[in-house]
Amino acid sequence: MFREPKKNATNSNEQQNKEEPEKLPIPASKREFLDVLKEKVHSPADLVIKNISATVTIVYLDFLIDGKILNEQILPILEKEQSAPPKTIKEKLPIAEIDLSAELNKSVLEMLIGAVLIHSEGHSELVIAKISSYQSRGLSAPENESQVIGSQVGFNENLATNISLIRRYITNPNLCNEKFTLGKDTMTSLSVLYIDGIASEQHVNTIRQRIEDLDISDLLDSAVLSELIDDNSFSMFPQLLLTERPDRFCDGLLSGKVGIVVNGSSMAILCPYTFIEFFQSREDQNLRWQIATFIRLLRFMAMIISIFFTPIYVAALTFHYEVIPQPLLVPLSESRAIVPFPPIIEALVLELIIELLREAGARLPTKVGQTIGIVGGIVLGTAAVEAGITSNILIIIIALCALASFTTPNYLMGNVIRILRFPIIILAGFWGFFGVMLAFCFLIIHLLRQSSLGAPYMAPIYPPRWKDWPDSFIRMPLPFISRQSVNSRAQSNNQETNENLAKEEKVIR
Amino acid sequence: MKSTLQIGNDEKFNASLFFFVIAAAQVGVGIHGFQRVVVKDAGHDAWISVILAALFSHIVVFFMIKTLELYPSNDLYGIHLDIFGKFIGSIVNIIYVLYCTFAFYSVIKNYIEVINTWVFPDLSQSFITTVLLILVIYAFTGGLRVMLGVCFFSFMTGLWILIVVYMPLKYAHYNHLLPLFGHDITSIFKGAYSMTFTIVGFEVINTLYPYAKEKNKVQKYVHLALLCTLFIYLSVILVSLVYFSEAQLERTLWATLTLFTVIKLPFIERIEIIIICFWTIIILPNLCLFAWSAYRGVKRFKNVKGTTFIWLFSILMFIANIPMQSRTQIDDINNFFAQIAFVIVFLYPILLYIMASLKNVLRKGGRKNEKG
Repeated sequence: MFREPKKNATNSNEQQNKEEPEKLPIPASKREFLDVLKEKVHSPADLVIKNISATVTIVYLDFLIDGKILNEQILPILEKEQSAPPKTIKEKLPIAEIDLSAELNKSVLEMLIGAVLIHSEGHSELVIAKISSYQSRGLSAPENESQVIGSQVGFNENLATNISLIRRYITNPNLCNEKFTLGKDTMTSLSVLYIDGIASEQHVNTIRQRIEDLDISDLLDSAVLSELIDDNSFSMFPQLLLTERPDRFCDGLLSGKVGIVVNGSSMAILCPYTFIEFFQSREDQNLRWQIATFIRLLRFMAMIISIFFTPIYVAALTFHYEVIPQPLLVPLSESRAIVPFPPIIEALVLELIIELLREAGARLPTKVGQTIGIVGGIVLGTAAVEAGITSNILIIIIALCALASFTTPNYLMGNVIRILRFPIIILAGFWGFFGVMLAFCFLIIHLLRQSSLGAPYMAPIYPPRWKDWPDSFIRMPLPFISRQSVNSRAQSNNQETNENLAKEEKVIR
Repeated sequence: MKSTLQIGNDEKFNASLFFFVIAAAQVGVGIHGFQRVVVKDAGHDAWISVILAALFSHIVVFFMIKTLELYPSNDLYGIHLDIFGKFIGSIVNIIYVLYCTFAFYSVIKNYIEVINTWVFPDLSQSFITTVLLILVIYAFTGGLRVMLGVCFFSFMTGLWILIVVYMPLKYAHYNHLLPLFGHDITSIFKGAYSMTFTIVGFEVINTLYPYAKEKNKVQKYVHLALLCTLFIYLSVILVSLVYFSEAQLERTLWATLTLFTVIKLPFIERIEIIIICFWTIIILPNLCLFAWSAYRGVKRFKNVKGTTFIWLFSILMFIANIPMQSRTQIDDINNFFAQIAFVIVFLYPILLYIMASLKNVLRKGGRKNEKG
């Protein structure tokens, strides 16, 4: 099942094509070459063809290349070298990434990425000077995973920038970078990153296998990839982490996880990930351990409240009045006295309103978003209570649940927690506490059945890995925390020897 | 040996998990009302009976594991086939499968009874059976790993109930316990015998043992689990004895649940309703483990897939659930089950151990003769 890792692929920038397109030779004559090339790329408006001399022609796509390098480094030399063979041109040009190619399809691909093709009359070879320039936005603070203490830089949409960011964090020759290209129509490049000797070989193989087995037409975002390669697509729970924080990503790599960075996406994938880790934030390590522990426990409490509080309210008010003590029952029934609906309808409607508010807030521009908050939260809420449609105690509970669900550091997990409430409210409305318990049992079994890259999803709680407990739902002082969780540890007893061996191997190569 | 199980290293489990598994398997529906049957015989010395019963279970478990140690990679079914031969061994296996099925059935029936009496008088029995079976099927199809996980979570999430048990102590009359040894030794033993229905569950070790990673540590954890459940039972019986009078206890069907009714917290009253609903996750391990034990036995006759088995098993349980509806019938089931369980769980393992070690000695002797 697990293949030997492709050693030659590591640390190389070679473009790997899963299925080689048919090989086309490059016509030696200039006219023929241009005709074939134009036909290949359907002569787009941004194709630039420039005759340097009677023999030498350069072709490139405008806006994809760095005009400054072209003007200052390539053109002057080409003008000096009239009618030189490609080999000489290659040697003369002061450009690092330069290649010779005798194959048309590959050259076209390079051109589409941002290379200048230099054709010389009479030679069926091309010089490919890769001087691509990326239009990308500058580095900015991560929008969705903000933190108070810690670095304030996020990934952007450019693969090269992201990888350079990661390499700035981890200066380590063992940081491996394997390139893949996915999507027949988009040719999206992506990098699988891991640290040799720390990451488990088995996980790296699994990821490699799953990416190579994919047969998709396009890939525009890493979130799509994460759904395509996860273990169980039918589960609501995210099994791989999507993060836009390079520090969190590097933290994952250093603890033995495998990362994937996709070009064009500002979210990187980390795997394998566990349920507990979705409730941790990078910031927890930057805080004092007592405070971090408190915050982590708070988050777990918030999760439980968020999932079960409304259903318990519905169950208690529908079936189990006797559970509520007398002093509490009076205000409850007073607030519910004029409400015409049964609790289940009341709760479902209010939950839906909250979801509507959230969705509206997420889609609208920030300035309008605030208005929506005020209109929705204050006007709708107060008016609904005054009109006697809902009880104000339920409004408090629903608002508390919504608030609690937003404490989850991961947006995807927060979504799951909010959506989970709806089926549980319905069960509670039908079968009271028994329904809530059924949902609880179902949830536990479901979570136990999940895995991430074949590693158990509920680790380190189950299977109990006591050594990893200091950094799970609590955070003990740093010296007590083993850096690599058992889940993602390399499967070797003698890790240090392995690391040394790996290092030697690399040097020899 | 043909009957040896082939278990890969990935399928095996840490011995420490056995603590949770055995503890979760033992605590089930019995604890809701075991006080009545024990007190009927042993009176206010019922707590001594509980200790005695736990002591017996320790002895039995000791013999069980000693037997299993003779066959390191085989479960009870394989041992039967080896000792009794193909034909008689198969019959004994059928009996054990039936026992597991019966245990499963009895747990479901008792739980439905409790729910119908305390929480939802009108909720249809078929409905409760169906949803419980769906949960069991979902856990079962996930494999043994998931089922043991259910045991683990059941134990961990159920711990808070132990705190609630002590709350009625403020109404306690400690002189209910006196005089010590007010009953003769035979009644105390009879009381211990009545504990059978409550205390069984640890026999799942018979089928789980080959799945342990470190075989030599299993014994320690199983005995620890027994101690843990002894602590739970002892707490419950002592609190019940000091809270209720003897006559009251004899007339209370579910003394533990009645005990919970007096607890008043600032935000919750009638906590027993929550606890009864919560009991779903406490009985889930029992159901899973008994179904799994039965499955291991059935697999010896016909190589069925787990999914096929559990669906057939569930349909059978659903149908079997329909005719038995009244309390007296369930009481009869419980008594009958207790008798069978006493023989199968408490007497038979010792007998089996003697036979297994005899066979072992004979085999070794035979081998020596062959060599000589």
